[in-house]
Amino acid sequence: MDTLALFNILLFIPLVSAGIIALFLRRGGIVAAGVSVLAALGIAVVSFMILFGWNGEPLGGDHYSYTWLEFGTYQINLGYYFTYESATMLAVVAFVGFFIHVFSVGYMDDDQNKGRFFGGLSIFMFSMLGIVLASNLFMIFIFWELVGFSSYMLIAHYWDKDFAAAASKKAFIVNRIGDFGFLVGIAWAYHYFGTADFAEINALIASGEKHAVTGIGLLLMCGFLGKSAQFPLQVWLTDAMAGPTPVSALIHAATMVAAGVYFMVRIFFLLTPDVLEVIMWICAAMAMLAGFWALGQSDIKKSLAYSTLSHLGYMGTALGLGFPGLAIMHMAMHACFKATLFLCSGSVIHACHHEQDMFKMGGLWKKMPITGTAFLFATLSIAAVPMFAGYYSKDTIIGAAFGVGAETGNSAYYGVWALVLIAALTTSLYMGRMFYVVFLGKPNSEKAEHAHESNLWMTVPLIVLGIFLSLGAGWFASSTLDFKWANGEMTAMLPTDATTFMMDGYDVAEDGSHAGDTAHHVDKPHHGYGGGFTAAHHAIDASGQKTMLEGSSFAMMLLGFIFTFFYYGLGPSKDKLQTQLPGLYNALAKHGWFDDIYDWYVAEVQERFANILATLDQLLISGLLVRGTAGVAGLFGMVSRSLHVGNIHGYVYWFLAGVLFFGAFALGML
Amino acid sequence: MNYNGFQELAATNQWSAIWPELSMAGIGLLVLCLDLFLPSSRKRLIPLVAIFGQLALLAVLVMGCGCATESTGPLFGGMIESGPYTPYMRAFFVLSSTLVCYLGVSYLSRQNLPRSEFYLLTIFVSGAMMLLVQSSNFVMLFVSLETVTIGFYVLVSYCRYSPFSLEAGLKYLILGALSSAILLFGIVLLYGAASNPALAQSTTDSMNFAALGKFIAATPEEPLVLVGAVLVLCGICFKIGAVPFQIWVPDVYQGAPTPVTAFLAVSSKAAGFLVLMNLVAGPFAALSKLTVPLLSAIAIITILFGNITALGQRNVKRVIGLSGIAHAGYLLVGVVAMAVGVALAPWAIIFYLFAYLFASFAVFGVMVHLAGVEDEIQEIDHYQKLAERQPFLAGVLAIGLGSLAGIPPLAGFIGKLLLFIAAFQAELYTLLGAAIIGVVISVYYYFGWMREAFFIKPALPGDEARPSYPMPGAVGIIHKLTLGLLVVITVLMGLFQRGIFGG
Repeated sequence: MDTLALFNILLFIPLVSAGIIALFLRRGGIVAAGVSVLAALGIAVVSFMILFGWNGEPLGGDHYSYTWLEFGTYQINLGYYFTYESATMLAVVAFVGFFIHVFSVGYMDDDQNKGRFFGGLSIFMFSMLGIVLASNLFMIFIFWELVGFSSYMLIAHYWDKDFAAAASKKAFIVNRIGDFGFLVGIAWAYHYFGTADFAEINALIASGEKHAVTGIGLLLMCGFLGKSAQFPLQVWLTDAMAGPTPVSALIHAATMVAAGVYFMVRIFFLLTPDVLEVIMWICAAMAMLAGFWALGQSDIKKSLAYSTLSHLGYMGTALGLGFPGLAIMHMAMHACFKATLFLCSGSVIHACHHEQDMFKMGGLWKKMPITGTAFLFATLSIAAVPMFAGYYSKDTIIGAAFGVGAETGNSAYYGVWALVLIAALTTSLYMGRMFYVVFLGKPNSEKAEHAHESNLWMTVPLIVLGIFLSLGAGWFASSTLDFKWANGEMTAMLPTDATTFMMDGYDVAEDGSHAGDTAHHVDKPHHGYGGGFTAAHHAIDASGQKTMLEGSSFAMMLLGFIFTFFYYGLGPSKDKLQTQLPGLYNALAKHGWFDDIYDWYVAEVQERFANILATLDQLLISGLLVRGTAGVAGLFGMVSRSLHVGNIHGYVYWFLAGVLFFGAFALGML
Repeated sequence: MNYNGFQELAATNQWSAIWPELSMAGIGLLVLCLDLFLPSSRKRLIPLVAIFGQLALLAVLVMGCGCATESTGPLFGGMIESGPYTPYMRAFFVLSSTLVCYLGVSYLSRQNLPRSEFYLLTIFVSGAMMLLVQSSNFVMLFVSLETVTIGFYVLVSYCRYSPFSLEAGLKYLILGALSSAILLFGIVLLYGAASNPALAQSTTDSMNFAALGKFIAATPEEPLVLVGAVLVLCGICFKIGAVPFQIWVPDVYQGAPTPVTAFLAVSSKAAGFLVLMNLVAGPFAALSKLTVPLLSAIAIITILFGNITALGQRNVKRVIGLSGIAHAGYLLVGVVAMAVGVALAPWAIIFYLFAYLFASFAVFGVMVHLAGVEDEIQEIDHYQKLAERQPFLAGVLAIGLGSLAGIPPLAGFIGKLLLFIAAFQAELYTLLGAAIIGVVISVYYYFGWMREAFFIKPALPGDEARPSYPMPGAVGIIHKLTLGLLVVITVLMGLFQRGIFGG
């Protein structure tokens, strides 16, 4: 089948599913769930058909786009642009998305509003696929807002709870702030380049006709900061955990928040080195800070949310270092292990009757062996234990910071290295703490006492995502485990098309299959610029410190696990840090007092300014202009209404008057 | 005329060229026969036959729309000539007629009235409209126009137990007859003038648009021609409800059964506009010095009058009627732009008519469902809290009204935009200003209606207990699908307007 038709089908499946659920199955319960899961299955199948049938040539241009609006020279297209980075993202969204749909069936079994939930998931899949395939800035913005909407809708799934309603509002508003900059950036980019199409902008920059502009890059970056919850817009993500756990796994860990990173990778060629440096520092700092903040939470999901922030920071750091391929690779690995961690937490929460406090759990390993094993695998993966998926991407990012520093001789990169290395320590700290507290020791509450393993709907996704993918998703990058099968379409556990970008980034041009693309940057700040895993390892090897780098990362990981093992103990019922050092614990729990600062700003500054404007509006615009003109129009309306007397004689005279009026015109009297 | 002449004329009688009109007549006759011969227990088949027959015809027509249509030239001795718009307008009238029949099913289920005649008349009238928009001869025009009008006399007073309906029927009869008389008088004057051998380019075939056009081009200053032309325009203005011939609209729209109101608002108005377009671009093309200022003045007054008068109305059928006058005003702007010679204008008008069709039938669909037995008493108050009682209907209403008001991204917005672009290209800045003011005013009453449905709570706590208006039951699946389809098309036409008429 034509790839264009496949793309269309891919987008239509979730849209149709959402439409059917919204129109007919709002109280449909299990039927709605079935429709949505089937749609997710359809997406997965079609995605893999696309990936297997694709020959590696970028798909885009006129054949893959529809003109949507056209006024003179002003034109907006809806189209597809399919390249290696979209292939990776598509594989992640389709595959992880499907298993989270399956998991949701089990998790939401006692929910009254399945129709709304599964309809929302379908809308989300539609919007997310739109972002993945979008060919231009306008289109990506539309779908960007649609994922924002579906996230808003799903966070507020338990809308009768105040905190859920407030969290959804917060997520929505904070994202709008980022999107404002994003929108201005799009307008500027369109004005400057004369097109919003990725491929065309790309060609303009590659040919040297136009240069990337730092201002545009910074504005577009605002969209990334909002969606991927980076400083200063990070405050919404932890609150968003008020939504159902599968939503946290799918939207707020695996895919939507990573869309920010994906977008930055997509427009990598129009980010100047200055913009990349800003991204690098913001994200490296966030990787470390969020890691510490995770230690100040007793809610299992919130702790994981800070872990997500920290790992989004890693992705941003990889991007800022100039390795888009590596950023996407960490995104993909993170999608596997973080989705697993959330799903495990969902399985635990479900088993403990919606108890989310870790210190009321404990001893769940024996009661929930499958969940426990999946959680352990994902923990080892996120902490970058060798051979596990996270090791390949995360350790490479840490090493790459050092490698780039050694190559360019710029000592600032060593600072970044230090930040992400400490972040690696925090990873094993909070993950070790979580594992020991939740799964080992004795149950700390009645609910944990009676917990038992979840049903197959939930355990099968845990086995696939947790045990297989958290372990093996990164093997394609290994030099010993990168076996190919299925005619070379698959490498280790992933489709080969999906691994290419992670390995090579935009450097694919060297082997000729990606010719004419973005490899020719005007000013490369360092050698591996624009590349992926391979280029990062070149940098590490070139620095000559490979053993030291590997050793230090490994030591950090080990240190974290050992420290927490002895500090927290097995299955404690209280947070030892909280009882021993309440000051430090509170500082971590307050995560930098950002919420308080923003609250103060809104209440004291913005509110007052708004009040002044409101007064002016009431007096001038509403009072004088609106009410005034409405009054005049209403007065005329009363007069003209009274002309319809209902008397047929009167109407006939109207006609005669009309004829006379027309006649006067004809004879030139008017 | 000698024998050869007749033979040449007979050669142009290509019955196959008007097969859609013949099919409509066939469906009508089939309905009539079924009514005669079917046992009364089987009579419920009749609306099905009427609706599915027309749907089948519509499907064939829509498939044909995609093919390139070549003008067949004058047919039936110059009586009929299909133009570039004909395929679209055929589909338009069949679609509208189908929807009217569909609403009729819902309406008639609540009334103790004869059933089959309703479908029969609707189908015949629509067939006549399809002929009307192709007529290229005043005789043909008048005959098909009268077929339409006489059908409407009956349809408007169809609810013969309701004094409102009867009163509306009487008003429509008298004013319709008056306007027909004016129209006929104008035709006669033109006939007389064009047959005068003393004048240049006089013709023996002076009812024919082409011949008449040549004559008028040669003698555009002749007073008889001018008076004749404006009298014809008067007659058409009655059809489209332009000021000062709008005066019948609110009363008749209110009194007529709701499906007939929809029929009047959509099909009858569209037919009037197509005739006006044919005249302005055809025989009256040389009179643009007269038609442009005259129609411009009418357009401005119509837009402002319609919108301002709709402001304080509480009866929704009157609101629709008065807002329909305003829509006629916007469309007149397009006609003026067409008379000035803007190529975009006719397509803008046709797009607008389609957008108006989908949005209006969405709103009428909601109205028919909510109406009680007393069809003419439908107040805005009845829509209070509709969003809570019937969220689906409230959503359909919001999109329908939004499209009528011209809110992006709905079809109505693009329709208005196209009309305004045409007016801009024709440099009709005053008209453009009036139209924009009109749109702003219209938002007020359309949104007032929506506000009632979504936000207003009953003023007194006791009101909730005893609603004075009918509380209709749940929406059936077919009604949901139909309304949903109309709404989806309205949204899609707003999002993808390219390619509908080839750009």
